[in-house]
Amino acid sequence: MDNLINVFFNPDIMEKVWPFLLQGLWMTLLLSLTVVPLGLAGGLLVALAGNQGPRWLRWTMVVYVDFFRAFPPLVLLILIYFGLPFLSIDMPKFAAVAMGFLLNNSSYYGEVFRAGLESVPRGQTEAARSTGLNRFQTLWHVVIPQATRNVLPELISNTLEVIKLTALASVVAMPELLNNARQAQALTYNPTPIVLAALMYLMLLWPVVRLLSRLEHRSTVVR
Amino acid sequence: MNSAAPLSTLDRFLFSFFNPEVAARYVAPMLDGMLLTIGLGLCVIATGLVLGLTLAVVRIQHVRLINGIIVAFADIFRALPPLVVIILLFFAFPYIELSMSAFTATWLALSLVLAAFTEEIFWTGMLAIPKGQWEAARSTGLGPWATLVQVILPQAVRMTVPPLTNRTIAITKGTALGSVVALHEVLNVSSAASSEAGNATPLVMGAAAYLILFIPFVVFGRWVETRFAWKR
Amino acid sequence: MRPALELRDLCKAYGALAVLHGVSLSVPTGKLVFVIGPSGSGKSTLLRCCNLLEVPQSGAVLVDGQDITQAGVDLNRLRQQVGMVFQSFNLYPHMTALGNVTLALRKVQKLSKAQAQADGLQALARVGLTDKANTYPGQLSGGQQQRVGIARSLALKPKILLFDEPTSALDPELVGSVLQVMRELRESGMTMVVVSHEMGFARAAADHVVFMDKGQILEQGSPQVIFDTPQHPRLREFLTALGQR
Repeated sequence: MDNLINVFFNPDIMEKVWPFLLQGLWMTLLLSLTVVPLGLAGGLLVALAGNQGPRWLRWTMVVYVDFFRAFPPLVLLILIYFGLPFLSIDMPKFAAVAMGFLLNNSSYYGEVFRAGLESVPRGQTEAARSTGLNRFQTLWHVVIPQATRNVLPELISNTLEVIKLTALASVVAMPELLNNARQAQALTYNPTPIVLAALMYLMLLWPVVRLLSRLEHRSTVVR
Repeated sequence: MNSAAPLSTLDRFLFSFFNPEVAARYVAPMLDGMLLTIGLGLCVIATGLVLGLTLAVVRIQHVRLINGIIVAFADIFRALPPLVVIILLFFAFPYIELSMSAFTATWLALSLVLAAFTEEIFWTGMLAIPKGQWEAARSTGLGPWATLVQVILPQAVRMTVPPLTNRTIAITKGTALGSVVALHEVLNVSSAASSEAGNATPLVMGAAAYLILFIPFVVFGRWVETRFAWKR
Repeated sequence: MRPALELRDLCKAYGALAVLHGVSLSVPTGKLVFVIGPSGSGKSTLLRCCNLLEVPQSGAVLVDGQDITQAGVDLNRLRQQVGMVFQSFNLYPHMTALGNVTLALRKVQKLSKAQAQADGLQALARVGLTDKANTYPGQLSGGQQQRVGIARSLALKPKILLFDEPTSALDPELVGSVLQVMRELRESGMTMVVVSHEMGFARAAADHVVFMDKGQILEQGSPQVIFDTPQHPRLREFLTALGQR
């Protein structure tokens, strides 16, 4: 038992690496706070383009979404990160990583918003237009609020996925949580940093998972 | 003379990303990588779905302690990034004499994650079946197991197929994560080949391989979604 | 005097399916025109052409003498003058009753918040629901929801009100409250076009009754003529089937 604790939960090592991991956590949060809002906006735009635009645009959006849903995010990241230099494009690491994540998650958010927009009955649009509201006003005040409410669990679920996705940035040596944990593990010859990082992820994300479960169960339980 | 004239941007692009010579060199290992990815993916889907369904069925028994463990399991493996789980299994476990191959670590990690999501999806699906269905079946004399199999699950499946398909696709893409622990799947092979050749073409080949593997899945997933419209 | 609403030779088809075969109708100002007919007769389509929720392939729709099917018509302005009440109410679930009523007042008529609220409360008063101003549609009965729907259109001070089967989705006990509001509107001089099965209401309150079948107007006249002395065989069949004869 002692041995287990010493190996996986070594208090001395935990104390030593904690600040370093905390730095990594900040980077994880920074990445998340950049990519999530942009992804949401991007996804909404994609969904609106498909919903409101002409047929060819709808098909283009479907292709865009399916393409990036089929593409493993890690591959996308690597492709952008290592491929850009070949194109003589010099992009700061953060931007390249963010762009990769953005392409990936805007397609997932796009799908969620698409379902959301379609879940709002057409009568709502008709009623709003019948009172003289123009297309934009109808979308902004009547359709989008309802669409978002209808797919809130999926939006939160997807956001959770995006935050977990930031761990992939460790592969391109982005100093986020997992990356720092692995570095610390290599330096201390002890897996405690990784266990600590796992615990930090849990601390951050377990509440979100709980919230999500509650929302999902509430919307499906038959009254 | 061609060697004196500067290459146009397009030529440079094609040379770096779509070089047929380089491509030919690495076709064989790439195909091996694809086979591995496919094999790994199938294993993950099989174990993940079966484990998830089993856990959901166990949860119906409403044994408090066991349910607590199942819920904790589902929460933990939905909250942890899959890459972290792979790293934990591959790098941390050897310290207690439990080392495993890259394949095992990746397969186990992804299966556990898929099982967690699957359990939740099945559970939510079963919750949505009105209690009256249970009551009706039981009052005609059907035992609990028969009720589950004949009445409840068929209805739950209808609700669960779309999210299940989507989640399975998402997690199976995680096989690429195996590259981080040097599993010789597509991404690993392409990255190594790209470094070796000093050319991005293998990476593009890898990307194409993934698209070939997964676009059919995604299209299938879309078809499934329309076929089994998710009722609210 | 110029009719408030006039339909000339309206034709509407969905692909190969023709729904309106050259329908013409005149709605005098301040009158209530009631449209009856079997389902599939094109009554709803006709009504929805009046505010261009459906666009006819040919023919003209004249609101106060102006043809609204022509290009260059400000559709949003028009729709404030021709209000619509829907069978399924279509209230915005995420807004209170007052919010539903004032949305267009604020965004389209650009009224100040205070003014919009005042006008909105006035409209709600006309349908007898001032005390429900801050309730959400989910907490209202069907009849109350429909009355809020009427208030929503009323608040814009329209010239014409269109009613698309306003009571068909209501429980029988709640129908009366909505018909009461409609009766009061008629008495106040509102021009109304109503598509409905409420024959009793038609007898009592309509100025003019129109019978449609298969995309055409087969007979029209005063309620007495239509209900007591129907001429067209299809109309007779229809009324017998409904137990009105």
